Amino acid sequence: MMQTIKLVFSNFKYVFLSSVIFVSMMIGLLILSEYIFLEPYIVSHLPSGTELGFVLILVISALSALVIPMNIFRINILKSSKQKMGGGIVGSIIGASAGACSCGPVGFAVISTFGSVGATATAFLTNYEIPIRIIAIAILFAAYFTTVKSLKIECNVHS
Amino acid sequence: MNKKAVILGVIVVAIVAGIAASVSSSPSETVNLDMGRTHGTISTAMGSAILGDPSAPITIVEFGDYQCHQCYNWFHNTKPAITRDYVETGKVNLVFVDLAFLGNDSPKAAQASYCAEDQGMYWDYHDLLYNSQEPKIDGGWANSERLKAFAFSLDLDMKLFESCLDSGKYSKRVQYNIQQARDNGVSGTPGFFIVGPDEQQQISGAQPFSVFKQILDSMI
Repeated sequence: MMQTIKLVFSNFKYVFLSSVIFVSMMIGLLILSEYIFLEPYIVSHLPSGTELGFVLILVISALSALVIPMNIFRINILKSSKQKMGGGIVGSIIGASAGACSCGPVGFAVISTFGSVGATATAFLTNYEIPIRIIAIAILFAAYFTTVKSLKIECNVHS
Repeated sequence: MNKKAVILGVIVVAIVAGIAASVSSSPSETVNLDMGRTHGTISTAMGSAILGDPSAPITIVEFGDYQCHQCYNWFHNTKPAITRDYVETGKVNLVFVDLAFLGNDSPKAAQASYCAEDQGMYWDYHDLLYNSQEPKIDGGWANSERLKAFAFSLDLDMKLFESCLDSGKYSKRVQYNIQQARDNGVSGTPGFFIVGPDEQQQISGAQPFSVFKQILDSMI
């Protein structure tokens, strides 16, 4: 498993890609979930009772930063099927959408645009924020193990 | 002569009794009766009663939803320090304006708060709603039955409260407040305007006390 990770991240391009994914996803989700505010001052804030949500955002960002570059490596280096990107991307999107649509500007815009359908959707995403994020983490873990297994087999075949 | 004195006495007693009755039934908080009330660019005429000294030089206008968990976070994490350091010291007052958009129970909860205001208990009811908030939107914690139960727990006149809530007496008031939020570019809850003597500053989200302190201190 470590060998596979070393294989992918021995190339600086993938380390850079992973860093960009981690930082942009983490900061984006922390802003959407109101752990970071940009106006009127840049300030971070972790209200009591929201620690679990914060940790889940960090885990999703880290797993996305691990899984997505590994899948891109497979596609670029080994010319594998693009269909196997699915798990990583789906997990990241699900994880990102949970909790983003609540009281904040995204939720207000969705409800204003889509009316009662938007309200139902945002209520669902808000009510099940933590379970949805846990499901996203499970999908990302599954995508990680599938990718590692696949890389082991394909690297042996190609080498 | 004696007859006149008796009649005069009865009138005086009636007047004194009337004044005493009106004083004893006065609510412990001021009900907003100023239909032209504005703070900065915001018409707060249909908003809450003012919390704190009405003549304070700075007003915080909060746009909120009783089902919003970020409003809950602000209520519990930031508002107590603002109340202690600024509202209770007479430097700042606060007005709550509804942006009830998160679920079907949100507008009803906002209306219920004004039904409580009719009996002089707006802020008690407001605080009770935020102390009773449960995580799920439209999960039943703010349905009509629960809203009435909250009123009962505050010893409100239930006949008055129920007729107010069931009739939708304050439906248009809440809609007016939501429109004020839209007109002033509020795009989520909680949203704040800090309105000082010369300027007005917008704050979006459940930001920490340090942010409010910095802005309030710069205005005082």
